[in-house]
Amino acid sequence: MDPLSDIIIDIRGLTFRRGSRTIFDDISLRVPRGKVTAIMGPSGTGKTTLLKLIGGQLKPDGGQILLEGDNIPTLGRGDLFLVRERMGMLFQSGALFTDMSVFENVAFPIRVHTDLAEEMIRDIVLMKLQAVGLRGAAKLMPSELSGGMARRVALARAIALDPDIVMYDEPFTGQDPIAMGVLVNLIRRLNQALGHTSIIVSHDIKETLGIADYVYVVADGKVIAEGSPEQLASVDSEQVRQFMQGLPDGPVPFHYPAPDLMQELLQETP
Amino acid sequence: MLDWIQSLGHGALSRLATFGRAGQLLVQSLVARPAPLVMFPLLVKQLYFVGVLSLVIIVVSGAFIGMVLGLQGYTILVDYGSEQAVGQMVALSLVRELAPVVTALLFAGRAGSALTAEIGLMKATEQLAGLEMIGVDPLRRVIAPRFWAGFISMPILTVIFSVVGVWGGAIVAVDWLGIYDGSFWANMQQSVDFSEDVLNGVIKSIVFGAVVTWIAVFEGYDCVPTSEGISQATTRTVVFSSLAVLGLDFILTALMFGEL
Repeated sequence: MDPLSDIIIDIRGLTFRRGSRTIFDDISLRVPRGKVTAIMGPSGTGKTTLLKLIGGQLKPDGGQILLEGDNIPTLGRGDLFLVRERMGMLFQSGALFTDMSVFENVAFPIRVHTDLAEEMIRDIVLMKLQAVGLRGAAKLMPSELSGGMARRVALARAIALDPDIVMYDEPFTGQDPIAMGVLVNLIRRLNQALGHTSIIVSHDIKETLGIADYVYVVADGKVIAEGSPEQLASVDSEQVRQFMQGLPDGPVPFHYPAPDLMQELLQETP
Repeated sequence: MLDWIQSLGHGALSRLATFGRAGQLLVQSLVARPAPLVMFPLLVKQLYFVGVLSLVIIVVSGAFIGMVLGLQGYTILVDYGSEQAVGQMVALSLVRELAPVVTALLFAGRAGSALTAEIGLMKATEQLAGLEMIGVDPLRRVIAPRFWAGFISMPILTVIFSVVGVWGGAIVAVDWLGIYDGSFWANMQQSVDFSEDVLNGVIKSIVFGAVVTWIAVFEGYDCVPTSEGISQATTRTVVFSSLAVLGLDFILTALMFGEL
């Protein structure tokens, strides 16, 4: 079945600038419902910015971001907060509230958005923590967690309200191999078990391709390739190949633009 | 020359934009108060951090300033044989000027800088963005309780400062320098008017409380989320609040006592 037959987020002609720099230049992407979609690309291509645009934390300079027909950039403050209740986001740093315990962090969205009884909240929180393997850490404070554990708690918090969409911002960056393996497994397993749509922004090629159903490669403000992981492996573009195979030099040069080395060395210091 | 005019215009525009953002933040956090049941525990927690934890510095400074006033007042007034008026001098200078101004300056240094650093760090660690994505407005949850806590704490701290200061003055003037305590307190009672002096001092402290807390939460919320950005924002909070307090004090004094 074509993964793009049932779309949950439809981005059309999106343009976003920071000062004079164009981050996205008229790009369009579609995110299939219930699948794991990866957005990949070299550092500094605005992948995190894209998640913030989808979450309505930034406003684009042009184009539409349609979530089941709602154009996110045009929503008012109140509607935007309603839409965000359907989204969970795992931040790169975890973004746990440092003045609350692990339990309270996961319980926070439930307390804010529902009127459930305390026993019910406790059961849900323990189940979410069990899902990420940290039920035993419920009483700890965020400062007592390792980086990998903090990210798993943040994941439990992101799925606390069973959102329709979970967005992961560089979930594998800076993790040791065990934590990385745990996270890769969790993202895939949770996606299957809970049936939500996952969007992963990452430049960890092996891990991301292992769990993605559909991949977009973004560079220089454009989508330079898209397709299933198998389709991407056979793309005949030097830029895509350089990124996918991690080659140090190619269309993305190793050297930052600079004058000739010999000339600069021979130049007298002013 | 053109470059200079251009940079001047750019600077003025960006300053204006900052004022606009600060105004927006104030209005939104005042309008967007959380529901009373949610707000109350958050407010109590902030009142503790902002108000109760500032008590030590306020009480100690109040006592010393009162004692210094008593001592200085005595050495000046004794030359004219009117050392009985020390009580009046201590009380009036504290209630009208020193208590609101010094409390506000100390508050900016202790609580204002802490507020800015805390909110700035919450921004840097994406906690504010996290709240937004959970569907909670950080202005309601983080900014509003802190703003109200500062607004409520400052007048109370100012009154405590005045009381402790007067007590410090009495210790020096009456117990140490031997002024007759009857005339010390009677002079004070006669000269200090409730609405003219005490109330005006409290009004000053309410204005200072609002301004200092506003600057502190705005600087935190608007800072560049890096370690350098947070340190600059914290410094700006202390500098801008102190200048604002001193400037506003002159304006308020002129309006209240200057018969303008």
